[in-house]
Amino acid sequence: MEDWGIAIIKVVFIWVWTLLCATVMTWVERRGAGMIQDRLGPNRAGPFGLFQPLADGIKLFTKEDIVPANARKILFSLGPILFAIPAFSAYAVIPFGDKIVVGGKEILLQVADVNVGFLYVVAIGSMAVYGIVVGGWGSNNKYSILGGLRSTAQMISYEVPWGLALLAAVLVYGTFSLRQIALAQQGTFLGFLPNWGIFKQPLGFILFIVAAYAEANRVPFDLPEAESEIVAGYHTEYGSMRLGLYLFGEYVNLYTLSALMVTFYFGAWHLPYLDMSKFLGPISYGIASFIVFFLKVAFFLWLFVWVRWTVPRFRYDQLMNLGWKSLIPLALLNLFITALCIQITA
Amino acid sequence: MSGFETVFLYLAMSLLAVSGMLLISAALGPFRPKPEKIDTYECGVPLLDPCHKRYDIKYYVVAVLFLVFDLETVLIYPLAVRYKALAHLGWGIFFEVFIFVAVLLAGLFYAIKKRAIEWD
Repeated sequence: MEDWGIAIIKVVFIWVWTLLCATVMTWVERRGAGMIQDRLGPNRAGPFGLFQPLADGIKLFTKEDIVPANARKILFSLGPILFAIPAFSAYAVIPFGDKIVVGGKEILLQVADVNVGFLYVVAIGSMAVYGIVVGGWGSNNKYSILGGLRSTAQMISYEVPWGLALLAAVLVYGTFSLRQIALAQQGTFLGFLPNWGIFKQPLGFILFIVAAYAEANRVPFDLPEAESEIVAGYHTEYGSMRLGLYLFGEYVNLYTLSALMVTFYFGAWHLPYLDMSKFLGPISYGIASFIVFFLKVAFFLWLFVWVRWTVPRFRYDQLMNLGWKSLIPLALLNLFITALCIQITA
Repeated sequence: MSGFETVFLYLAMSLLAVSGMLLISAALGPFRPKPEKIDTYECGVPLLDPCHKRYDIKYYVVAVLFLVFDLETVLIYPLAVRYKALAHLGWGIFFEVFIFVAVLLAGLFYAIKKRAIEWD
């Protein structure tokens, strides 16, 4: 019974935490845009406009729930749900810290340390495309259908290099458990570098981050919702909380992807050259590992914003060329080199 | 607890929260449909033709290619997780990976050569 209590606390905590971070991200994105474009951004609701996400949320909740007359009603309602549930659930197997000892009981800072965590993340991550294509098709609108089609082609094209890049990392770590992967990054590599995935998989990380931006439909790959070409793409017809689910889902996806980058390539909760567990008490170590992990995630979240307001959008043929003619051959090459290196050092 | 129960708990929480959000929004929002309001949105111009037109075959080709490559990726997964342990036994496993990747690469170059992914 006690186990269930802890499990429920962890589930509720990390679920609310990812959603909270996603909400704050909408504010960071708009303030960051303001900063980069030398303007203010939202600054009226609360101090520094901090209550802006709250105001937006209330607005989305109280808007009229319009279903277009021509829409396929069932698919139209199903779209946002299919998109949001995988987005909200992907974090279940990713760690958010090492462990904390409370009352002599060791609690892992991870919702579920399953041995196939990696497969779970990949499977759930690829479900999101259904929400987009079903929503786009169900809207029965030219922009939506175009956006949905573009998005499907883009997401499935970049899923291959995404999976292959992570696969090379799995070759290095030899496990599917994300906690084991995180634990394997302690200490130093070659004697002077931190033992992080980035130093063992530099090409893999570049491939992963490029594919992740495409998977999340972010600039420079935001063609599914290219507003100057196809209005808002697959969610043109959506309003109210249905639109809200699409938007929130996207930001929660960003959080999950950033956490994956940190877990696979940036040493999870480990600090370089410093073993925190040696000089911190059990409780303060747990909190410190959570904070270190979160700060790294926050950096990658900020990188998403930074890139969005720096890089222009790709053209569709460029996007497909990059995906199929550069990323996939490079990902296969990376896999090959990784296998070779492991074989030589074995 | 092996962990999978918690994963299901997490999924159930997502399902509950998503349906809750939609229900609250449906309850709080007004409901005043008008013909103009629920018409298909095409920048305010009256709808001239049906929305479902023919679309480019290229999307279909990409989907087929994706199926092939994703399936091959899935086939490498079990090999990848055991690779380190098997590498100690000799070079056999490496050549297995090499052949696998080489076949994939040959298929990819064939698809590129056949202009399967040209968008112009």
